Amino acid sequence: MPSFLHPVTFVGAFTLLGMLFALQEWVSLRSWNNHILVTLKMVMAAWCVHYFLWGVICWMLWWRLRQQIQKAGWFSIVAHFLPLSVALSVLEEIIWVSIFPQLPLGLPRMAFWHRVAFHLDADLMDNLVIFWTGFLLLRGVGYYQLYREKEYATVQLETQFANAQLRALRMQLNPHFLFNTMNSISSLMQTDIAAADKMLEQLCSLLRITLERGDVQLIPLSDEMEFIEMYLAMQDRRFTGRVRQEICVEPDLYDALVPAMLLQPVIENAYTHGLSRLDHDGLIVVDVRRHNSTLTISVVNSGLGLRPEALNGDGRRGVGLANVRDRMQLHYGSHHAFHIEELTHGKVRVTLALPLQFSERPTEKLTGYGV
Amino acid sequence: MIPTVLADDEVLARQKLRQLLRDEREIEVVGEGMTAAETIDLVRATRPQLLFLDIQMPGMDGFDIATELCSGKIEPAPHIIFTTAHDQYALRAFEIHAIDYLLKPFTRERLSSAVERARKVISLGNQQMTAGSSASRNGNRYTTRIVFKSRGRIVFLPVSDIRWISAEENYVRISTQGESHLLRETMAHLEEKLDPEMFLRVHRSSIVNLQHVKEVRTETDGEYAVVLVNGEKLTMSRGYRSRINEWLTHS
Repeated sequence: MPSFLHPVTFVGAFTLLGMLFALQEWVSLRSWNNHILVTLKMVMAAWCVHYFLWGVICWMLWWRLRQQIQKAGWFSIVAHFLPLSVALSVLEEIIWVSIFPQLPLGLPRMAFWHRVAFHLDADLMDNLVIFWTGFLLLRGVGYYQLYREKEYATVQLETQFANAQLRALRMQLNPHFLFNTMNSISSLMQTDIAAADKMLEQLCSLLRITLERGDVQLIPLSDEMEFIEMYLAMQDRRFTGRVRQEICVEPDLYDALVPAMLLQPVIENAYTHGLSRLDHDGLIVVDVRRHNSTLTISVVNSGLGLRPEALNGDGRRGVGLANVRDRMQLHYGSHHAFHIEELTHGKVRVTLALPLQFSERPTEKLTGYGV
Repeated sequence: MIPTVLADDEVLARQKLRQLLRDEREIEVVGEGMTAAETIDLVRATRPQLLFLDIQMPGMDGFDIATELCSGKIEPAPHIIFTTAHDQYALRAFEIHAIDYLLKPFTRERLSSAVERARKVISLGNQQMTAGSSASRNGNRYTTRIVFKSRGRIVFLPVSDIRWISAEENYVRISTQGESHLLRETMAHLEEKLDPEMFLRVHRSSIVNLQHVKEVRTETDGEYAVVLVNGEKLTMSRGYRSRINEWLTHS
């Protein structure tokens, strides 16, 4: 409920309006030299009580009849509210007249009903105008509230949709990489039990971390890099030292927030489409830097360069990277950049740039000291 | 030989442990418990020095068993290595002085390191027993081990395994043999926790374990460097040089 609809502010505002009209009348009376008859106090009292009464009436209308006011069609307005407006105008006048028996001034004393008729003659039109202004105001408030509610619902819906999309995109990542790793383990089980065992442990550690994060979308870079280091260690096992791995992160960026699992598809891509095609001297470099208020992550891998299908996003190569691109779009709108380019000697560089933001409070970490 | 009891409600889990422990010299499996009650009875009857304990067991959980065993009814209480698929009890396990915390599935390598640690603790305990003092050397003022989570694993790291520590903004990197762990911690706080007899601050952003220092070398540019036994080199600030010289002359 808007704050101006609180009874005190509502009736107060009406009374203030009455006060302004009283001042206006006082000024005009003075300029016509008619003020000798009446005092400012009298004028004030008459106008303020008048508007106070209307304030109370309008607030009661809002209190008891807001649904009807907001929903009333033409028929209801003519059949119900028109008679109501006249009745309330008369009622208000009767109350007002009984409060001020001395009015009108300067005329011979009149009987009560005579006085009511006298004042109604002058005020009925004004009263009707006040009623219908109030009516329109309350109807406007209704429309405004409805509009706000709809707007809120739309925003809610949009957020929910974006979250659902993000969730779906993250879900896409896990099985993909899970099955590939399972396949490697299955293959190692035939030849090297210890290596299969080790890889299974690594996979479990990765899963444990992923499950622990749950639905959290943005995580500190330190967590993402921990995940990447584990993933790289696992890849190293699969590629048995054929690929040199270099990671370089500016330490003041460890607390920067990045979308969870942003880098893994990029690195997986570097392996499947570049490094796996080399039989020796592979190189992968992950580099995280700050450029003013932008966080730039670049992944360079040696390989056979870019082939045409990579750029138009077709084929399997597109899935992982398209996912990364979509998630950056959902998180940052147009405030991000995603480039994939070929360097010399068949090297490929993927660059991600995103707005630099930090978490408001550091995540709780399990650390204990003891004997 | 170290008499050892295995406690796990799953046959395959016990089988794996039994098989891997067969290759560990000094470990002698004297019994296997499937439930909490069975385990407690077994420990009473066989007085093992080491207990591999699953946290989720029928009847009571691993901690209840540990409390029961450490309540003084059984002297001496066995040392415990927890084996579990859950990582959320690590801090509790650390607090009740468990030797290690193995997350299932674990590798032979990981199990071996836990066994090695148990062996050290047990032999140290025996020495202290013969020397007649059970109080630790530094009177519990300093940390002798740290628990943290790194790369999806729980690490109970004895500080003696630390080679050196470097500051990286709000984090510290703890380097051990062949591994390094990034912890959200400050140098000052960590330095406070570590025994100054063992660890020395050689630079604003590095602390070194003196046990792993081979020498202090003057570089060609007049700077000083601390060289570790494994060949790693740390630069040293002038301000800290006198401290290490003092230590070098003492040892």
